[in-house]
Amino acid sequence: MMENGKIVTIPAVATIDEIKDEIPNVRTYYLSFDDKAIDGAFTFRSGQFIMLTVFGEGECAISLPPSPEKDRFHITVRSVGKVTRALGGLSAGDKVGVRGPFGNGFPFDEIKGKNVVFVAGGIGLIPLRSSIVHVLQHRKDFGRVILLSGSRTPSDIMYKYNMKEWQENCEAFYTVDNPTPDWTGETGFVHTLIEKAKVPVENTVAFVCGPPVMFNTVNQELMKRGLSDEFIISTLERHMKCGVGKCQHCAVGRTLVCTDGPVYTYRQIKILGEQI
Amino acid sequence: MYLIKKSDVLRLAEELGKTHDLYGPFMEPATKQAMFERVGKAADIDLAAPIPALPPKHALLPHYEKILAYSYDKKTQKVDLAPIYDDRPKALFGVRPCDLTGILCLDRFFLGQEFLDEVYKYHRKNLFIVSQTCVAPFKQCFCVCCDGGPAASEGYDLNLTDLGDTYLVEAGSEKGKKLAEAMGLAAADAKHQAEKTRRIDKCITLFDSVATDNKAWISRVMNRVTTGFIDEAVWEYIGNQCFECGACSFVCPTCSCFNIVDLPRKNGGAHESDRVRTWDSCSYEGYTREAGGHNPRKPVEDRRNKRFFCKLSYSQSKKYLRPGCVGCGRCQWVCPGDIGLPNVVTYIRREIHS
Amino acid sequence: MSYKPGVCTFCGTGCAHLLKTDNGSVDGVFPVQNHPVSRGRLCVRGWNIHELLNTPERITTPLVKKDGALVPASYDEAIGVLVKGLADRKANAAEEIAVLASPRSSNEENYLLTRLARSVWGTNNITLDSDSGHRNSLDVLAAGTGMAGMTGSLEELRSCEYVLVAGIDITKQNPIIGSEIHYAVRSGATLVTVDSRKTQIARLSTSFLQARPGSNKIVYAAMAKILIEENLVDFDFLKKHNDGFEGFANSLGALRDEDISAKTGVSMDAIRAAARGLAAAKSAMVFFSSGISGLDADTISYIYNLFLIAGKVGRPGCGVNPIAGINNLQGGYDMGVAPDLLSGFRPITDAKAASAVSAAWGAPISAKPGRGVHELLESGASKLTALIVVDHDEGIVRHAERIKTIPFVAYIGAYKNPFMEYATVVLPIATYIEDDCTFTNTERRVQLSKKKADAPSGVLPGWKLLSAIAEKSGSKWSYASSAAVMDEIAKITPTYAGISHAKLEGTFGMQWPCDAKNPKGTARLSIEASKTFTFAPVSGSFEVPKPTGDFPSLLMIGKAQHFWHQNNIMRKTSIPLREYNTTLLLYPDGYVDITADEAKAAGVRDGWPVNVVSAKGSMRVQARVTDEVGPGAAYVPYFIQEMISEFLLENVDILKLGEDATIPVRIEKV
Ligand SMILES: Cc1cc2nc3c(=O)[nH]c(=O)nc-3n(C[C@H](O)[C@H](O)[C@H](O)COP(=O)(O)OP(=O)(O)OC[C@H]3O[C@@H](n4cnc5c(N)ncnc54)[C@H](O)[C@@H]3O)c2cc1C
Ligand code: SF4
Ligand code: SF4
Ligand code: SF4
Repeated sequence: MMENGKIVTIPAVATIDEIKDEIPNVRTYYLSFDDKAIDGAFTFRSGQFIMLTVFGEGECAISLPPSPEKDRFHITVRSVGKVTRALGGLSAGDKVGVRGPFGNGFPFDEIKGKNVVFVAGGIGLIPLRSSIVHVLQHRKDFGRVILLSGSRTPSDIMYKYNMKEWQENCEAFYTVDNPTPDWTGETGFVHTLIEKAKVPVENTVAFVCGPPVMFNTVNQELMKRGLSDEFIISTLERHMKCGVGKCQHCAVGRTLVCTDGPVYTYRQIKILGEQI
Repeated sequence: MYLIKKSDVLRLAEELGKTHDLYGPFMEPATKQAMFERVGKAADIDLAAPIPALPPKHALLPHYEKILAYSYDKKTQKVDLAPIYDDRPKALFGVRPCDLTGILCLDRFFLGQEFLDEVYKYHRKNLFIVSQTCVAPFKQCFCVCCDGGPAASEGYDLNLTDLGDTYLVEAGSEKGKKLAEAMGLAAADAKHQAEKTRRIDKCITLFDSVATDNKAWISRVMNRVTTGFIDEAVWEYIGNQCFECGACSFVCPTCSCFNIVDLPRKNGGAHESDRVRTWDSCSYEGYTREAGGHNPRKPVEDRRNKRFFCKLSYSQSKKYLRPGCVGCGRCQWVCPGDIGLPNVVTYIRREIHS
Repeated sequence: MSYKPGVCTFCGTGCAHLLKTDNGSVDGVFPVQNHPVSRGRLCVRGWNIHELLNTPERITTPLVKKDGALVPASYDEAIGVLVKGLADRKANAAEEIAVLASPRSSNEENYLLTRLARSVWGTNNITLDSDSGHRNSLDVLAAGTGMAGMTGSLEELRSCEYVLVAGIDITKQNPIIGSEIHYAVRSGATLVTVDSRKTQIARLSTSFLQARPGSNKIVYAAMAKILIEENLVDFDFLKKHNDGFEGFANSLGALRDEDISAKTGVSMDAIRAAARGLAAAKSAMVFFSSGISGLDADTISYIYNLFLIAGKVGRPGCGVNPIAGINNLQGGYDMGVAPDLLSGFRPITDAKAASAVSAAWGAPISAKPGRGVHELLESGASKLTALIVVDHDEGIVRHAERIKTIPFVAYIGAYKNPFMEYATVVLPIATYIEDDCTFTNTERRVQLSKKKADAPSGVLPGWKLLSAIAEKSGSKWSYASSAAVMDEIAKITPTYAGISHAKLEGTFGMQWPCDAKNPKGTARLSIEASKTFTFAPVSGSFEVPKPTGDFPSLLMIGKAQHFWHQNNIMRKTSIPLREYNTTLLLYPDGYVDITADEAKAAGVRDGWPVNVVSAKGSMRVQARVTDEVGPGAAYVPYFIQEMISEFLLENVDILKLGEDATIPVRIEKV
């Protein structure tokens, strides 16, 4: 049942149509809702997430990587714990449960006309993918669009099948920490690409997602160049149980990641006094 | 406003018990501890029992509750989902004002934010609340510090005030009024109202000599807690004393954090599971831990900090439309450390002064 | 009125709780304000006990192994398999049969288990799992004072003036006792903690003496020496009540002043202040761990002797207090669950006691002490062919390889357990809320827990199952109830003589000895009752483990503190399980605690992988940089043993020495 376009309490059943291996331990699952009415009505904003039920195991929060428009509905999940590992054991044709979409989403209306820089470390590309595709679908609404992606090795690059398309449609740079002999892209940590890509700071918004160390160095680099922390945008991950602002597990300072987030500006994150 | 003879007051409970599951205060016989709980019959209720050890919160937010029963058979790919909503009519009889204030906080939090908590909504749906004015405080009480008592001003269906050999019965809702009328209660007048006021005033004067365990000058620290200008050392002093037992959250009439787990159904079939929701506490280390490798490392004082932020900050008060503490004093007596809310307020206040 | 009173059965504190039992399921728990020990508090485990009681992981039917797989069977069939398996070995029972009993079982169950073992199966090889630490404590105290249990009373702790916490992480192991200590401190008591790790109680102490790993004993000996040198000994007390003071005093001569600080890393001033404080206080208690491994007998002896010298035994507010980490560890020994004991901690060689027992049982028992089960499992030479295990606690079976080779293994328990894998036959029993039963907490408090729920259909309570096994073996037992079992215990056990379910009902328990002289029990050992206390013999050896150039750090392996992490029943909960696993979220490969200086020297930061290298082997874990350990010390929690099992095996001889044992290591960056 949907309330205001959201599945709030009881998960809607969805079928895994197809599974794609991304990188070791991470897979993408294409889903469709069994209830065709929901399938038609389910819309979301880039940056929002769902609560995914693996039946018999439990629920966890998962971002939505597809573009809200014209993209196959899917999720990309890394196996780390009880639920995500159980998901890894499912096959095409199996059922899962979905609640959502929840969270605030990225502020696209406010950034029309600006330069957009995406900086992703490893699987930080998962929550950014939706926005990347969305921005490229509306390419003319934005100034320069730059994608900087860092991975440990070439085989850790997320969404490799999108690489070519993204490189054609925006200024996309890929770097790895440990190159293999056949690697032709950049080498080094992702923050070194900022210089290389001549990232602008005027009229610019940066979306930064990745592990804490990467997050901090990238932000320092951007700010050193003069980008205000108000225009650095990220998503926070927290232990989450209900997704609708009641269980309070995801409290960050005075806000809840599930209803006030998961998208925050770097300034907000600093004021909240929390670590990423 | 009505009157009912003291000896008859449980007739109200009896009447409610015909159509509701009846909850009330009583002394648990084996442990001699005041509890607020479902009773077998109206006569079990003891309105004179001290402030119950257990607030009535559990009637609306049980300690351990199944909220969804489901089955998933991978062979047939059949999924069945059956939410478990508990909308049994429940009557809470003899609720202390602080605890009623606690229920109102829960109402605002669960029903008044962006999303509505479906499970809570059903618990709340057919609830009948009979509160009672406190005519004397107990040792642990400090409701007067945070407007949690000693008299209820809203939220009840009926409110009782002990006037000696009669109870003043006030109706706070249509439901309440209907019951009072149906019971044929005698009308009360201004004299009785004045007597109630006198008794409340008397109760407030008694706090000095009777309610000696706790005091909490809440308004003095809210600003500090909200802005975060509190010396690290104070939090460390508090954090060192936390045994991470969770008790403070569990006994608090306004604490509502919960955990959710899916468990295979006890005595169930191979594919059957229950989604269970249980009380949880921000004092627990695992409460905020996120799977996935990078976890903000949280010393225990940060976690304590969270609970007091929730009770004592303006931002959180917006959710309750009042401070999150109602002054019941329970977290003080269950704490294996010495950091119940009133003490913490004192520690912070001392720091402000020094 | 669905909240029913009972006793928390996780740890040896024995807190009182009210369990919400509606329609057979336990949906909540609440503390009891009037209980003299727990006083309205519970710890994280106690507050979530209903999660365990609600677990679907119960054994609900007897199982018998057929063609390599366990298949459901009737009790009759399964008991038949057990009885036959043991009857076949009866001729050589003392060699072939062993029983691993549980410190979680009720007194009634454990008592009947000893009866089965000794009088029906014909073996004295019966051991409480996780035994050694508490046994050491009880041996020292029984020999010294005649009381085989904690000599103090927790009720008196609040008014105690001086508390010594001797290397126990008490706010984690027995949190509510930790809370009482904290209360005493707030009421003005002096709290001295001696430990190699800065635990929470260390932070709450008046004075924290951070001794080098393996040197804690020297601190206690030094305190005793200072009392003697400064004439602070309670001579009046010793004159009237001691035996062996001179011998002990002389043995301290071997401890040279100049060595004390050098060996322990604690300043003489701090030790002196601690000693003087002990002498000056009117009352004093010491707490030490008696858990999984606990302390070695020698260290316990020094602690006990120190308290004797100070005159802090047998007086109001005083006590030498070994703390049982498991709920009925004390009760297990009270019931005689040991190869060489009868109930009431009497040696099986005590002919008078043995004849009373065998008269009550209507069967002869062997006066020859049996052997410990762990010893039998470890010794390649033992002829063990049948093992009966009750409610095993550890998620990981220690002697798995050996047990696989034992032809006949029986498992008796309420919850599913990895042990079942090895079993020939599995017999389910009811949990403690499904029948009346008693448990004895760490301060000898025997408490009754009443039945609150029905067992899963057809599952028997322990006493009934054990009676049925006896019956099928040809011994007719005639207990009508669990209360009748306690009546028999009282009849043949002097310390329990005055205890019965009827008397316990409606109380918060009675502390043994409870007899005609002390009909209400005995809160505390008293000088009046026991005229003479004997000093415990000590080794006089003050060797400390020495780090070497190659292995400059001393590695401690924490056992007692972390017992709950790998506990089989914790794994059946959600919130306590989550809590016990959180550190592993940060350090998924397990961790070693080292100081910031040590980390710097090794060139690593918090969370980085390191190799911990000993003379015998190495392990790879993550560094956890902390001020909890002192310089030159490192610490690995035992609960990550799955990750470091090889390393543990390589160093197993050292680990056997107890809680204070250390391994010299060096920390290397990976
Ligand atoms: C808004 C939001 C969006 C998210 N989006 C995504 C997404 O798109 N894709 C995605 O993959 N994740 C995402 N996450 C993270 C995801 O929610 C968690 O990974 C998930 O909750 C883990 O659940 P679990 O049941 O598998 O782990 P749990 O069972 O909760 O994990 C706990 C257990 O797993 C083990 N464990 C946990 N982490 C580790 C570790 N790093 N190493 C070793 N053991 C570990 C521990 O032993 C622990 O007991 C998101 C989170 C949030 C809040
Ligand atoms: S914070 Fe403590 S005193 Fe205040 S309402 Fe909660 S339990 Fe009562
Ligand atoms: S009751 Fe006290 S010890 Fe327990 S979690 Fe709360 S503050 Fe910590
Ligand atoms: S301290 Fe021990 S007995 Fe008390 S609640 Fe905790 S586990 Fe239970």
